[in-house]
Amino acid sequence: MKEYTDVALTIANEAGAGFCDMRIVEERQNRIYVRRRSLKRLDETDSFGYGIRILLNGAWGFAFNTRLSKDDVAKTARLAVQTARASSKVPKQLAACMAKEPGNIETLSGPCKEDPFKVPHKEKAELLITACDQMLKVHDVAVAEGFLQFIKLHRIIANSDGSYLDLTNYFANPNLQAVAVVGTESQQRSYQGGARQAGYEFIREIDLVGHAQRWAAEAVMKCKAEDCPTGVMDVVLDPINLALTMHESVGHPTELDRILGWEANLAGRSFIRPEDVGALCYGSNWVNFSIDNTLDGGLGSWFYDDDGVKMQKFPLITNGTLVNLTTTRETVPLIGWDRSNGCCRSDSYSHFPINRIANLYLEPGTDDNLTPHDLIAGVERGIYIQGMGSFSIDQMRNNFQFGGDLFWLIEGGKMTTPLKKVTYQAHTRQFWGSCDGIAGQKCWKPHGIMNCGKGEPMQIMCMTHGAADALFRDIKVGAAKL
Amino acid sequence: MKGREEIEALLKSVLSLVKAPHAQAEYHCRSHLATRFGENAVTQNMAGAEEHVRLVVAYGSNQGSSITNTLDTASVDRLAKRAQDIAKHSPHDPEYMPPITQQSFPATPPRWDAAVARLSPDAIAEDIFTAVELAKAAKYKASGLFEASRGAKAIANSQSLFAFDRFSNLNYSTTMHGPLGSGSCAENGEYVHQVAANALARRALETAKQAQNPKPIGPGDYTVIFEPQAVADLLGFLTWNMSAREADEGTTVFTGKIGKRFFSEMVCLETRIDDPELPAPPFGQDGLAARRRTWINAGIVERLRHDRYWASRKDTDPDPLLYPLFMEGQDQSLHDLIAQCKKGLLVKRLWYIRYVDRKELLLTGMTRDGLFLIKNGHIVHPVSNLRFNESPVVFLQNVIAMSHPERVEDWIKVPGIMSEHFTFSSKTESV
Repeated sequence: MKEYTDVALTIANEAGAGFCDMRIVEERQNRIYVRRRSLKRLDETDSFGYGIRILLNGAWGFAFNTRLSKDDVAKTARLAVQTARASSKVPKQLAACMAKEPGNIETLSGPCKEDPFKVPHKEKAELLITACDQMLKVHDVAVAEGFLQFIKLHRIIANSDGSYLDLTNYFANPNLQAVAVVGTESQQRSYQGGARQAGYEFIREIDLVGHAQRWAAEAVMKCKAEDCPTGVMDVVLDPINLALTMHESVGHPTELDRILGWEANLAGRSFIRPEDVGALCYGSNWVNFSIDNTLDGGLGSWFYDDDGVKMQKFPLITNGTLVNLTTTRETVPLIGWDRSNGCCRSDSYSHFPINRIANLYLEPGTDDNLTPHDLIAGVERGIYIQGMGSFSIDQMRNNFQFGGDLFWLIEGGKMTTPLKKVTYQAHTRQFWGSCDGIAGQKCWKPHGIMNCGKGEPMQIMCMTHGAADALFRDIKVGAAKL
Repeated sequence: MKGREEIEALLKSVLSLVKAPHAQAEYHCRSHLATRFGENAVTQNMAGAEEHVRLVVAYGSNQGSSITNTLDTASVDRLAKRAQDIAKHSPHDPEYMPPITQQSFPATPPRWDAAVARLSPDAIAEDIFTAVELAKAAKYKASGLFEASRGAKAIANSQSLFAFDRFSNLNYSTTMHGPLGSGSCAENGEYVHQVAANALARRALETAKQAQNPKPIGPGDYTVIFEPQAVADLLGFLTWNMSAREADEGTTVFTGKIGKRFFSEMVCLETRIDDPELPAPPFGQDGLAARRRTWINAGIVERLRHDRYWASRKDTDPDPLLYPLFMEGQDQSLHDLIAQCKKGLLVKRLWYIRYVDRKELLLTGMTRDGLFLIKNGHIVHPVSNLRFNESPVVFLQNVIAMSHPERVEDWIKVPGIMSEHFTFSSKTESV
């Protein structure tokens, strides 16, 4: 492909570009969707295209194409130059520039023990049909749905720093859900293990069929459960529930492009200011967050980001204090930092790379032996929340309200009664400031999210979060009108 | 971009490669310009074109599909072979529906404006420049997105159906931020004249100025006046639950509601295909000819959307389209609604709406970019944003009055609505 990327880089250089890259993206995808016993979708998709990004006189241009010839690449590069010139009509206060990076030449491939594209489609479809069948055998289960998605993502990134990166990653994304109906009540319960950067071995590991009846029975149990109590009480959140909470209240507000106001029109801004780094109390001393784009199986572990920055691990919040942000090469010079920490990604050849949440996780507590049961034992009256449910947060990432997938009332240090329709509502720093215990490493679990939406036009990105169960004191629950 | 004849020839050539008895080939293409801006400057500027073909084939009730966006001969051959391989080895689908026969398509208003196709990144930058200069003059910050796209969609199948639609689309939104408040405005259309870029920027700035220094207000039940944008934000979730099958299965708020009065008598919701201000495509699912449908009439749920399989089970016609949707209003303006309001809140826009309970259609979300207290028929001052926990069903049951319907998204035309007892559950200082 180098003969094509050279064409783009040459045209950009001749136009006087300060930076240029060409990102060639080849994606193979396989999706299977079953509803009840009907195979609604079984397909394979091939997609190929490239995007050329040119920084000219401090203004960005970008053009994409799906046709690959030297003439097509040249035309696309010239269109990128044209868009950069149009951008310069509404210039930035400080001309855009890219933080320095060395040129890197590497070919790397992500974990995949069993190629999902070699597993017979029939086997994959029958797995879902069998799992749905198991769910439908449970009395009062009205609907069962299963979904499998496999992606092979191949990127070639060539840029004017001299980088030429040939990178391949595999993603496996399963889902299974039961919807129960009891009288006029309907509740659902679903697989909560998330996605992983892996091959088909991940699907074999999670045993959807083996768990299907339990999840279905829990959907029925939820229908018969009591509604969420209302009041201020302690909550213990499991790792999967925390994945979404940290995503919205820690991941997004620490993106530097939001902090700089670039997402103000849709995704919103952030309550954080650049000068808060090193000073802002984000949570209690229990709260330690890490960014780790080298995490094994992490959905954000792409080796290099789309700026050509090698991915890395670093602390984001240490003992409750904000110590870093997630950044791109364009954003860091604007706050006086030298280097990007590699959090710039795009979901398609046709989209401009933007600042994205990385693999972000809450470090486990220091006592390896501390379990969720120990945390629950320390709660007089509260709720244990498992899995992901409703999620909503304001555009500055302050006021949030979350739900979950399974709920238990805690009374006298014990889980007593199942609940339904539980919500908890707080403000970000108040919430993390109320953290009063985190289970140990043995309870730490990762959770891969495939559907993080951001940007305009909307881009859908993936990343992995992780946590051990954690205890939060005096949280408002049950604010929803039931 | 390919023309109708070229697309028809392409799809026929794809179908000619298929040996399976049932096949359906679909073509989509899009040429796209998109310019983003933030902090009073262009931050991204994108241009390009893409196309793809999807092929669905079936042997009996065993089906499979494949998609490719490279349309050279070898890629199309691979597409046909792969779709057939998948279908041959796929399990039997008890809900399989064969391709439809030829249709007689209605004469829907055109959705194509050549002037959109002629727009350039330079022309878009000029409109953004105007918004940014307005913001700068007020010492505010402008952000937004201006998109111009054109494309085509076609379906051909083994029953000799050919359906074709071409369209253009403009979408412009801007948000203006002052130090302590923001305003936002958006317009979209198929024709250049439907987006008045400079006037839109001025309206966003005006709202932002009015929204400065909001006073705190407590949560509680309020009479609200939702501007059409906020109504559309809320109704999206209602329309996603209008599946006849899911209602019959007992999992949505519409279960057991057919033929019953479920909303205020003022609520009428229908799919129209003849409005030039919000033109419908000539066909919907699998190439079915578009048709008008009434879903809610005078508050009574008349019909829910049937896909082809569920229609066959229920011995009724399938519903080709749900969108574009139209909600009737009343012959009065938003100002008239405000004048009738003794005490309430004017809501410009909603944000981050999610289910709290799907069966009850209980939703949560936030107000954004302008929330104002109304007293005795006048806006008195801006107030801080609030989180709601409420159902669009309750919102539409408690309607007091409506304004004229307006197009606010490319899928819906709705009035502003005054409704009582809308529940806000917590507050935020975020602006």
